[in-house]
Amino acid sequence: MVRFVGQKVVRVEDRRILSGRGKFVDDLILPDMLHAAFVRSPYPHARISRLDISAAQQAPGVAAVFVGEDMRKLCNPVSTSLAFGVKFPEFYPLVTDKVRFVGDLVAMVVADSRYAAEDACDLVEVDYDALPAVADYDDAIDPTKPPLFDELGDNVVITNAPVTWGDVDAAFAEADRVVTATLRQHRVAPVPMETRGAVADYDPSTDELTYYASTQSPHGLRLQLATTLGHPMERFRVLANDVGGGFGLKGSVVREDFCIAAASKALGRPLKWIEDRNEHLIASGQAREEMVEAEVAVKADGTFLGMKAKLIMDAGAYPNVPFVSAMFVGLMQLLLPGPYRMKGYRFESSVISTNKAAYVAYRGPWEMETWVRERLVDIVAHELGVDAAEILRKNMMLGAPEDRLITGITVKGISSRESLDRALALIDYEAFRKEQATARAQGRYLGIGFATFIEAAPGPAEMRPNGGMFGGERARVALQPDGHVVVTTAQAPHGQGHETTLAQVAADEMGVPFEHVKVVHGDTRQTPFSVIGTGGSRSATWATGAVLMSTRKLKEQVLAIAAGMLEISPEDLEILDGIVTPKGVPHKALPLAQIAMKAVMDPSSLPPDTNDGRLEGHERFTGENITGSGWSGGTHVCTIEVDVATGRVKILRYVVVEDCGRVINPAVVDGQVCGGVAQGIGAVLYERATYDGDANYLSGTFMDYLLPTSAEIPHIEIHHLETDPDGEVGFRGVGEGGAVVAPATLTNAIDDALQPFGARVSDQYMPPAKVLELAGVVPA
Amino acid sequence: MTKQPVRLTVNGKAREGFAEPRKTLADFLREDLRLTGTHLGCEHGVCGACTILVDGEAVRSCLLFAVQVDGSEIMTIEGLERDGELHPLQESMRDCHSFQCGFCTPGFLMTAYAYLQEDHEFSEAEIREELAGNLCRCTGYQSIVAGVQLAAVRLGKREDVTTW
Repeated sequence: MVRFVGQKVVRVEDRRILSGRGKFVDDLILPDMLHAAFVRSPYPHARISRLDISAAQQAPGVAAVFVGEDMRKLCNPVSTSLAFGVKFPEFYPLVTDKVRFVGDLVAMVVADSRYAAEDACDLVEVDYDALPAVADYDDAIDPTKPPLFDELGDNVVITNAPVTWGDVDAAFAEADRVVTATLRQHRVAPVPMETRGAVADYDPSTDELTYYASTQSPHGLRLQLATTLGHPMERFRVLANDVGGGFGLKGSVVREDFCIAAASKALGRPLKWIEDRNEHLIASGQAREEMVEAEVAVKADGTFLGMKAKLIMDAGAYPNVPFVSAMFVGLMQLLLPGPYRMKGYRFESSVISTNKAAYVAYRGPWEMETWVRERLVDIVAHELGVDAAEILRKNMMLGAPEDRLITGITVKGISSRESLDRALALIDYEAFRKEQATARAQGRYLGIGFATFIEAAPGPAEMRPNGGMFGGERARVALQPDGHVVVTTAQAPHGQGHETTLAQVAADEMGVPFEHVKVVHGDTRQTPFSVIGTGGSRSATWATGAVLMSTRKLKEQVLAIAAGMLEISPEDLEILDGIVTPKGVPHKALPLAQIAMKAVMDPSSLPPDTNDGRLEGHERFTGENITGSGWSGGTHVCTIEVDVATGRVKILRYVVVEDCGRVINPAVVDGQVCGGVAQGIGAVLYERATYDGDANYLSGTFMDYLLPTSAEIPHIEIHHLETDPDGEVGFRGVGEGGAVVAPATLTNAIDDALQPFGARVSDQYMPPAKVLELAGVVPA
Repeated sequence: MTKQPVRLTVNGKAREGFAEPRKTLADFLREDLRLTGTHLGCEHGVCGACTILVDGEAVRSCLLFAVQVDGSEIMTIEGLERDGELHPLQESMRDCHSFQCGFCTPGFLMTAYAYLQEDHEFSEAEIREELAGNLCRCTGYQSIVAGVQLAAVRLGKREDVTTW
């Protein structure tokens, strides 16, 4: 019986966050706690010739000052087992020889307040010998530029040889036209409203290190910290309470984390570090900087024949851990052709290193493939003079059983075409084209853009043998002596509402009131291991599946005990509202509390097959019960008006047609979609992590790095397809799609609006100045 | 640095402490008065997460020093509840699933609370303009705008909510 799944259940989390009682890491104040602040490099690339900390050490309130050599003694080099073949340099939490980006970590001051620590940072004297900066793709392959890491020899992190599917040469030979484009995506940043931060608490009497963090992955963090510090893991606990957003960024373990943990251990006192916004924008990590040179072979009628693409990613100075960012290139390669029929495809890529902040994961870190593909569709349409909707319909796979991406992956059951048709109907495409023509005649520039995406969340069965890359996911569901239920998840929520959604799923499956379920997360002593935590749009399928299977296991144990007590077959029992009831014999009902109490107080009387009275399901979900295509996806369409006097882009309507399978909590799902779309809009119109030609950073405040506000983001109309709504684990990921497809949707609309000027949008960043340039109002 | 006395009325209660003249009001509230509901998202006056009411007016507590507001009446997010019951604004925000991670929440609530004290149209467009001094990174704002409008209706400031 389904009672909570599918409902807009009010969130459990909201009572505390709406009353100011959330527990974020900066809210933690421990006795005798010290505070850290960092001395950061003002130079992109320089050798440190002198470092004098003596004045800082004498400053009021200062407990210690750490430099690179101190950290080299306290820590192993930073490493990861998820390097995916990239060249991985040797580096430590603080620099030991030279700085490699503006914001690089030179020294750490520990004092009795943040104010005192920052005062003392100003007393650290550093002399730098500037080195030529490596600022962009060209610099990175310029042999006259110095390597960031001498031992690596150059600034190319990895070069992936061309990979070909189908007969790409034959496809191009057959073409009526070959359309080429160079598409550039700029650096943006995840920018959660809560910056990074941690409190490390080392207890010398027990050798226990407790690390309270704002993280998306407590286990990933613990693994990295323990490895680098060489601290025994049985005495290393990571705790995450409320986390103020992450968007991929807080899956990274950063060098500051190692410094805080190592310093607390060295000093034997609790140590807090809360990153300020300036530090965050400069140094916490940025994303998305890629360029693709593409060629598309087409027939005159718009039929796709083949595609060639060459991608380059700017990974910044230091490799991201635990997941090096170069791994996202593999996903881009796999998904770039999308569900469009073609005869051949070739992809090659490289990842380079520059004097910039690290490239980190950001909501849909493979997003470049969707932006490039959907932009290319539009460019082809304009080159051929064929409507883009027609090109999509002509080439798009319908999700037939035999349908595969040219890269070989099954797309049986995808609803791309349905979402496209629905989206264009909702926006009334034909009517808009007429309105656009009328407006143009009046000198007003309206545009429409649409784009379709598919997202492997969780992907078809062949992408996830035995649970895929992370081996599925585990959960623990345990009945308490009072008949209530504790769900322990490997997820590390930071806004996604898992305390609510996982409780909805468990309550329905167990047959207990929603209020009787408590979801536990964020404590590495309790939660099942997951290196990724919350990320990759995994929770809808993997975490839910794990909770469902574990609850089912628990239910079997409970019913076996109840069957013994009632002398009835378990098949004839059901649990309703926390009461085990023989079907059709309601007066013989047993409250779960009575069964649970018997299991703890009188375990010797339990029948066999009851898990020794543990009353606990602890299952690894590897995906056998997943139904449906495995693909989330959808189509977004928006209409805009461009003011060619000011360059302003006004979004008139934004329509989303989304298919994430069965929806657990519609309000939560819609929140994920809206938030992702807003980030996509922000990336196109407002946000840019700007470096100048010498890799100096220019976007260190919220007056330079512009986030969209409620006045810029339009109302977003959301429609769900819910294909396969009755499947067993028919819930699919929804966290990333909005951010993945919005940039393509909006840039296509801008391109469309500017067609009277013969414009072609090749850059994703479209601030007013760029719009005016494309409209020919200001010179390029 | 010499500390100076700071006497405030916070959420209806007399509170006092000592602060260095350079200590921000936000830090004083959080560290000295342990009112950690007020959050710091940027410390340069843009994100609005630290918004509180000082003598009835919505201000950014990261841009004020504690000593500047000596003698003032302060209201923070902790002051919205009455006898353990959520304020209609909080209830409306909960019913509209207004927030996700909850970090920007105190600033939005206090900005909206001040806005709801006055008479306005509370149309969607107007609410969007009024809230444009607060940043949220999770929601795309739609649910927050809906929550404020629902609160306006529940507080008798507007007839009905905008339907889409």
